[in-house]
Amino acid sequence: MENQKFFYDNKIVKLFLLATIIWGVVGVIVGLLVALQLAFPFFNFGLEFTTFGRMRPLHTNAIIFAFVGNAIFGGVYYSLQKLLKARMFNDTLSKIHFWGWQLIIVLAAVTFVLGISTSKEYAELEWPIDILITIVWVVFGWNMIGTIVKRRVQHIYAAIWWYLATFLGVAILHVVNSFALPISLTKSYSIYAGAQDAVVQWWYGHNAVAFFLTTPFLGLMYYYLPKAANRPIYSYKLSIIHFWSLIFLYMWAGPHHLLYQALPDWAQALGVTFSIMLIAPSWGGMINGLLTLRGAWDKVRDSAVLKFFVVAVTAYGMSTFEGPMMSLKSVNQITHFTDWTIAHTHIAGMGWNGGLVFGMLYWIIPRLFKTKLFSEKLANAHFWIATLSILIYAIPLYWAAVTQWLMLREYTPEGFLAYPNFLETLTQILPMYTIRIIGGTMFLIGFLLMVYNLFKTMAAGSVEANEAAEAPALVSQGSRNPVTETIHRWMERRAVRFSIWVFVALAIGGAVEIIPMIFIKSNVPTIDSVKPYTPLELEGRDIYVSEGCYTCHSQVIRPFRWETDRYGEYSKIGEFVYDHPYQWGSRRTGPDLARAGLIGGPMYKNAAWHYNHFMDPQKMNEQSIMPNYAWFAKKEINLDLIPNKIRAMQTLGVPYEEGFDEFAVDDLMKQAQTIVDDLKNSNIEIEPTKQMVAMIAYMHKLGKDIGPPPVEIVETLEIAEPEELELLSGEEDLAAGKAIFATTCVVCHGADGKGIATFPDLTDEEWLTGSSPSEVYLSISNGNITKGMIPYKDQYSEKQITQLTSYILLTLNKNEDSK
Amino acid sequence: MKIVSNLLENIEGIQIYYIIGLLIFFTLFVVIFIRTMRRSDNEMEEIKNSILIDNDSEEIITS
Ligand code: HEC
Ligand code: HEC
Repeated sequence: MENQKFFYDNKIVKLFLLATIIWGVVGVIVGLLVALQLAFPFFNFGLEFTTFGRMRPLHTNAIIFAFVGNAIFGGVYYSLQKLLKARMFNDTLSKIHFWGWQLIIVLAAVTFVLGISTSKEYAELEWPIDILITIVWVVFGWNMIGTIVKRRVQHIYAAIWWYLATFLGVAILHVVNSFALPISLTKSYSIYAGAQDAVVQWWYGHNAVAFFLTTPFLGLMYYYLPKAANRPIYSYKLSIIHFWSLIFLYMWAGPHHLLYQALPDWAQALGVTFSIMLIAPSWGGMINGLLTLRGAWDKVRDSAVLKFFVVAVTAYGMSTFEGPMMSLKSVNQITHFTDWTIAHTHIAGMGWNGGLVFGMLYWIIPRLFKTKLFSEKLANAHFWIATLSILIYAIPLYWAAVTQWLMLREYTPEGFLAYPNFLETLTQILPMYTIRIIGGTMFLIGFLLMVYNLFKTMAAGSVEANEAAEAPALVSQGSRNPVTETIHRWMERRAVRFSIWVFVALAIGGAVEIIPMIFIKSNVPTIDSVKPYTPLELEGRDIYVSEGCYTCHSQVIRPFRWETDRYGEYSKIGEFVYDHPYQWGSRRTGPDLARAGLIGGPMYKNAAWHYNHFMDPQKMNEQSIMPNYAWFAKKEINLDLIPNKIRAMQTLGVPYEEGFDEFAVDDLMKQAQTIVDDLKNSNIEIEPTKQMVAMIAYMHKLGKDIGPPPVEIVETLEIAEPEELELLSGEEDLAAGKAIFATTCVVCHGADGKGIATFPDLTDEEWLTGSSPSEVYLSISNGNITKGMIPYKDQYSEKQITQLTSYILLTLNKNEDSK
Repeated sequence: MKIVSNLLENIEGIQIYYIIGLLIFFTLFVVIFIRTMRRSDNEMEEIKNSILIDNDSEEIITS
């Protein structure tokens, strides 16, 4: 057979690997910034561009799509050519792929900082960028399949099946999840609403983990691990079985992100079953990886590359065991909405993805640059620092998750929540956030060591942009011989047919999960009292979406007593039918807001409170880590877009009356005026077209529609005959009163009781409703919900309210007297 | 949750998706498993080792 001469394209590999290194540094630094922000709100810098809500998507996207993405492409382009003994299909496609991807990354960074976001986690990019991604992704697939078709080897090696599954999986996910109705170049509404949107989003989110962070990495593992160890993979049969099971099962498991939330039971059960089944194929991969190294452990001791691979594969095994456990409902109760999830993702991200990328870089770069690694010692140092940093990062977060969960569900003997104020539970775990910063810093230091080491290595050698090679041409084998050839083998020989089967396996799972949710209307029972958003509320909602408030606040209350007592009635599917996109969130760094607008509910705050809170959350409560949003009072809303938005909503099926778009702006101004007037009563001057007003309107809409009809002004204060109340002057009682005051009342009345902004001073002689012990007692227990004083009889026992009264009258008010 | 799920129990054809899906999975799994296991070990070895034979690798240790 005649040998054909050809050239490997090394330049494109080099470009992708350089991009990996550079974006990796950026992604980790932004990660460190968000970690700092959560421990010290100062690091939000008081600028809208750098608030946590905008920085977190920047971090996640930079890591996933820029760092990991470029690493995948670099790793694939290198191994694909070698495995198939062919140059990449087309150089122009390679270049479009590379530069297109970098353009997407830059656009992503710019738009996130500017607050342009769809709020769908890991798919926050707006529609023009989504289209660009689709194009570049197709270019990648085309280039890859083209290469497979013109290959010079018979067999398509295992790694490449994973690459193909990656291409197809991501293509399906991205397209289905990104359907949106554009309003302008920078704003669109998801075509799915509420629970449907949630299912599609988490079907996507879960499978982005599968097809962007798992399948390509298994592919890379199947190539680089045997290469680095210089021994063949442990079992090829295992690789076939675990490939098909894994890609088939993954697609089904998405709803495990939505357990106990407003989702039909069958969908939840589906997610749980398949998540548990996923352990088997995942561990198949881990075992195959680890056993490849059997008999080569002496090599592992010396080689940083292999050590990184071992950590990666082990972290993969841990995460794929932990994940299914987290989808058991009883465990999910703890892990969902807490830092557990964050710890889980970072074990997987820093360990599995990070480890594999680092190992791969240390292996390829010297080969690509035809030299030796500058320093094996530094690489080993990087390894130890990185591994340690993962532990220092994750352990405090597991600790924090359990602590917070225990606090959230603790009750007093009288049957009230021990910590009704969410912030108390957060304050408790802030020290853990500080330790996490140390973990992150170490990871960054290790990373920088690698950058130095690799750049030194590059400087010492040079890349042969087109590396000559030769191999015999592939002779076509014709059709399948049923006796000697299995189906799998035959399918592999035909890349295209193979891809179609992979597609079918993926599509079945996706279809079963999504189609019934979307097309069976009765899956979403509507609730009559739930009304569409008014134009002003809609505008507020859009600001909420673009600021990324969902990164800290959830809007879905699970049916646990400790959640319903703290936040209000649990959430029903029908409440969300007008939510494009849904805003359930996935992490509660702040309290749930689903019932923030329910007057008389435990979460309600009046307009003046919201105003002051957005201006400066730390003034309301020193311990708060919410960034300030002072610019809400300065920035205008865009009235021109309102009619468009209403029409878009109508297209999506929101029942505004015919022609409402023309009155929308009037309606908006009218509603805004009522809020402006309300604020004026508290001596706050603001124009009706400011973002602040829209945001307050939205906050007051949340949960309003399904609550009991608002109680008319509570007159109990006048009606109730003030009976004699015995104050409790014991030290213990006063201390208990002080403790409650310090956690709950400070946000309005201030730590010293003098009242923040327009909230009443409790230390002076002036009383709105009387200063006798029983009158003060009633003020606290019945509150005055229209004015913003919460009725605390639902949250505290009579004894506790008496303690509060005593503390106010005997300590706070007396101090004043004695002056 | 109960109110919601009672409503859903009455929807025809919902459970069926679930069952069909599981059936498809198990059938395919059995088929793939059996066919894979019947493949010759020599062929597997050959493929496994093939990737190690190029300029990148020094000596090859097969098992
Ligand atoms: C870094 C996380 C974070 C971000 C981002 C964030 N918040 Fe908060 N938020 C908190 C924390 C923590 C609290 C509880 C402490 C407090 O009241 O300040 C809170 C409290 C609140 C409350 C008061 C809830 C109550 O009744 O006790 C509201 C309302 C609120 N946030 C709205 C928003 C909105 C709107 C946004 C987006 C513009 C936002 N938050 C962004 C963390 C965050
Ligand atoms: C969300 C803000 C807010 C919080 C939190 C809050 N209050 Fe109030 N409080 C108010 C407002 C507003 C009034 C004035 C009501 C009125 O105008 O009648 C008030 C009035 C009072 C009064 C009557 C004052 C007077 O002059 O008659 C007392 C006593 C009081 N609050 C105690 C408490 C205690 C104790 C807590 C904590 C358990 C608390 N408040 C928490 C907003 C708040």
